[in-house]
Amino acid sequence: MKLETSMGARFVSWWRHSIRGADALLHEAQTDRNDADELQHFYEETVNELVRQGMPRTQAERQARASIGNPTSTRETVRAARWENAVHSVVTDISYALRMLRRSPVFSVVVVLVIALGIGAVTSILSAANALLFTPISGAVNADRLVGIDRVQPGTNGGAQASQPYYVFLRERNRTLSAMAAWGKADFSIGRTTGNGESVAVYGNIVSANFFSVLGVTPYLGRFFLPEEDATPNTHPVVVVAYDFWRTTLGADSTLIGNEVLVNGTAFTLVGVAPPKFRGVFTPIISSAWVPLMMVSRIRPTSDVASPHASWLWMFGRMRDGVNREAVRADLVALTKQRIAERVEADWMWRLSDVRLVSLTGLPDDAQKVIRAFMSVLLGVSLLVLLIACVNVAAMLSARALARMPEMAIRVALGAARGRVIRQLLTENLVLFAIGAGAGIAIAMVATWAFERLPLPNAVPISLELSPDWRVMMIALVVSLFTGLLFGVVPARQAASADIQSRMRGDSRSGGRIIGGVSRGLVSNVLVVAQLALSLVLLVSAGLLLRALVRGAQTDPGFQARGVTVTTLRPEAWGYDAQRANAFYQLLEERVRAIPGVTAVSYAERLPLQFSSSGDNIQLDDAPIGKDGKRQGTVVTYSLVGEQYFDVLRLPLMSGRTFVRGDDSGSARVAVVNEQFVKRYWPQGNAVGRSFTFHDRRVTVVGVARNAKYASLTEPNDPHLYFPLAQEMRNERSLMVRSGNSANSAGFGEARPVSRETELSQQRAMQAAIRDAIKAIDAALPRADVTSLEKSTSFALLPQRIAAMVTGAMGAVGLLLATVGLYGIISYSVSRRSREIGIRMALGARAQDVQRLVLASGMKLAGLGVLIGLILAMGASQLLVAYLYGVSPLDAPTFVATAALFIAVAWLASWLPARRAAGLDPVVVLRQG
Amino acid sequence: MGDQETPENTDVIQGTLDLLILKSLSLEPMHGFGVARRIEQISRGVFKINPGSLMIAFQRMERAGMLDAEWRQTENARRAKYYKLTRTGKKQLEVETADWRRRAAAVARLLNAEA
Repeated sequence: MKLETSMGARFVSWWRHSIRGADALLHEAQTDRNDADELQHFYEETVNELVRQGMPRTQAERQARASIGNPTSTRETVRAARWENAVHSVVTDISYALRMLRRSPVFSVVVVLVIALGIGAVTSILSAANALLFTPISGAVNADRLVGIDRVQPGTNGGAQASQPYYVFLRERNRTLSAMAAWGKADFSIGRTTGNGESVAVYGNIVSANFFSVLGVTPYLGRFFLPEEDATPNTHPVVVVAYDFWRTTLGADSTLIGNEVLVNGTAFTLVGVAPPKFRGVFTPIISSAWVPLMMVSRIRPTSDVASPHASWLWMFGRMRDGVNREAVRADLVALTKQRIAERVEADWMWRLSDVRLVSLTGLPDDAQKVIRAFMSVLLGVSLLVLLIACVNVAAMLSARALARMPEMAIRVALGAARGRVIRQLLTENLVLFAIGAGAGIAIAMVATWAFERLPLPNAVPISLELSPDWRVMMIALVVSLFTGLLFGVVPARQAASADIQSRMRGDSRSGGRIIGGVSRGLVSNVLVVAQLALSLVLLVSAGLLLRALVRGAQTDPGFQARGVTVTTLRPEAWGYDAQRANAFYQLLEERVRAIPGVTAVSYAERLPLQFSSSGDNIQLDDAPIGKDGKRQGTVVTYSLVGEQYFDVLRLPLMSGRTFVRGDDSGSARVAVVNEQFVKRYWPQGNAVGRSFTFHDRRVTVVGVARNAKYASLTEPNDPHLYFPLAQEMRNERSLMVRSGNSANSAGFGEARPVSRETELSQQRAMQAAIRDAIKAIDAALPRADVTSLEKSTSFALLPQRIAAMVTGAMGAVGLLLATVGLYGIISYSVSRRSREIGIRMALGARAQDVQRLVLASGMKLAGLGVLIGLILAMGASQLLVAYLYGVSPLDAPTFVATAALFIAVAWLASWLPARRAAGLDPVVVLRQG
Repeated sequence: MGDQETPENTDVIQGTLDLLILKSLSLEPMHGFGVARRIEQISRGVFKINPGSLMIAFQRMERAGMLDAEWRQTENARRAKYYKLTRTGKKQLEVETADWRRRAAAVARLLNAEA
């Protein structure tokens, strides 16, 4: 019906509204003056009219004023009808809020700090978790269609990597993946063909030709691999390097593309450079070079690409459009069963008849579980701190809202709408939280920057992209603003509520009961108790972890790490074949033995306490016969060690002998077992001379060694075996050298006669000598990473160290917050009760009585908080058991000490206002009241 | 307080203020007071409009393009804001008048039928 409702007219009208509104906003003074003039004119005309009707001017003026009403409030009403007024009032609110916050700087700074710490902690932890677990592959296209493919044993998580023939089998026959790629890990040493010939050790991948195209990554320079380059073994020596590697090691030399570089001793043609930030599929570890699968034996000479028994490849694929994960899995499982039925693979692989599809981001699933558990402990802790922070802020805001009740009441009395007053208070809270969130993000950036530089174990170049990403930031921001609103609404409503009269009087009577219990202060009291309880939980956890750290440091690993220098050697990465590697090992051992001060030298498959171990089935003679006609196996962890291994580690032999030069591939198989092995399997003793079956061969036990820690300090005492390295060849070995005069025995961290400085300089000299010995054998080898065994095993306590650090820091922050909160509440109540205190003193109460009264009210809250906190901590500490090294989760000293600390701090927080209360002058107070 | 002379003084029916303003301005441009006086006079004091509501309505209608306003000098050297109908305003007056007549007739019929 109405013409004006047509779209065009509506738009014009809307447009005019906006323009005029904006105009009025910009020329506010002018608009206001116009309104005033119009109103004034109205008034004058009314007066004139009345005068014309014969009324005396004074009376006319009075009547005109009465009929028109209060001009200011009329103008206010007119102004409120304009939309731009909303914008205007928000701006006013914010600037007023800032002014109010500046007026109470201590309050503002504390609140902002509290919020910042809470948000900073949560953001840092989430960012770290994010980087470790969910970092997407840089440059990958449609990453959500990519799946990692793991071959596993049905019903378990146990699986194995794939062989190249199995990968090709799946790739050729599957109907659900549009493409499928595979990759294996390898150590590379890459150098220019010109110059001094020195190479650089990096970590790299051996990949199928379609590796990059399946991901959708495009080269920064040159090209990636062609299909024919991955078709026949050892015919296409081509390599792609990472952008960073090309920039730094190769000097960003683009003329190198198409030319040769030395990769593990072989000349490879550099065909391309990967885009910046691309570091492979396994994102936390930097891959710096890629070569085709068919070149594997040039990189890892012992590997045979065509072997169906090898297990070295990780696989991933891109799902076809319209196909879901379940269909892919069904397809691949059917193919795997078909493959098993062909009986071309090793026996043990037949069990692996299931396929698991995994996410292709971050760490592989096994590592994810460990890190996820650890991260959830840390995240729980920081969420607790955020909770404490929010509770603290709520308490402070609510106390302040109470204090500002008279102000609010006056505003309401002067005609401010209640909604308007609440909005003003909310704006103040939001401004506080916004500033806090900003500071929190700054903290998170600094924290992640520091965390990224935390030294990590392993020679593997771990890279954590730990910049707090924008999603986490957004979440933190939203959470903080939401908390600001949530924790602002209640106090704001309280402050703006009715009952104006009593508010204006300041209502010292009801305020005086704030400590007593049921009153408006109840909320604040509950909040302070909650804060104390939660921070106590944190500090108890930190205390327990610290105790665990101390105990861990005192744990006897069963061997003596002090005085041992170690380095890990990777001859495959140098292009050595087995023969050359053996010759190298022999020569190096001789040369190192000749270094002055060296008392024992041995090789080992791996160093102790690096969180890894080998384990396999052995068949004991008295084991029952299984369905397959073989004796049932028992899984036992084992180490492959050289002859002097036990001497190097000062690992005592309880009976029998250690290995000798004659224990090699040509002689009878021998083993050394640990005490626990004897205790568990041959409790009647006489282990030496007995035998068992390992890999279908008889192995005779020649000695029994004392129990030790093998993979980690927290592991239980389990049976363990030692085999001679000479009977189980491994290409990669660690060299272990004992040297010097460290005659004392026992574990870590004990006082020694030799000064620390002397010892360190001796260590450095020994490390340099070993490095020189390696260099002297082959100058082209990358610089060896020689270090002390103490240093390399110090990472054994890394999780505890980080956890203790985080919980300790958070607990301290929490305690600080709770203390501030308690102090705030008590001193607030003192100021509220000053009148009452004045009366008491006027009636004869002594200063000590007043002081005791106030102290008691504070300690009542603190006692309750500590009690609740202790109960909560008893529950929470159960979650930490895995990190506690046998320290009881109910460790009495920790609990008592923490509780005592809290009581002491709470006493101080109440004592300060109590002293002030005792110093009140009744005359002054009563006159003010 | 100030309306002792008009005991029957009534609030303007919701939504009709625009119509009354448009009608008053359809003869000649006027300032706010003029509009108020005209509505009061012609309604014989039934409708009495306070300046606040009037200014809000002016403001809204001006922004909706029904009115144009200009500041003029009055005889006693004051500034006064004069409003006049635009084309849109005139069209709006026709629409609203027709609409009002239709509604009023309907209400009248209902009331008669009930009696």
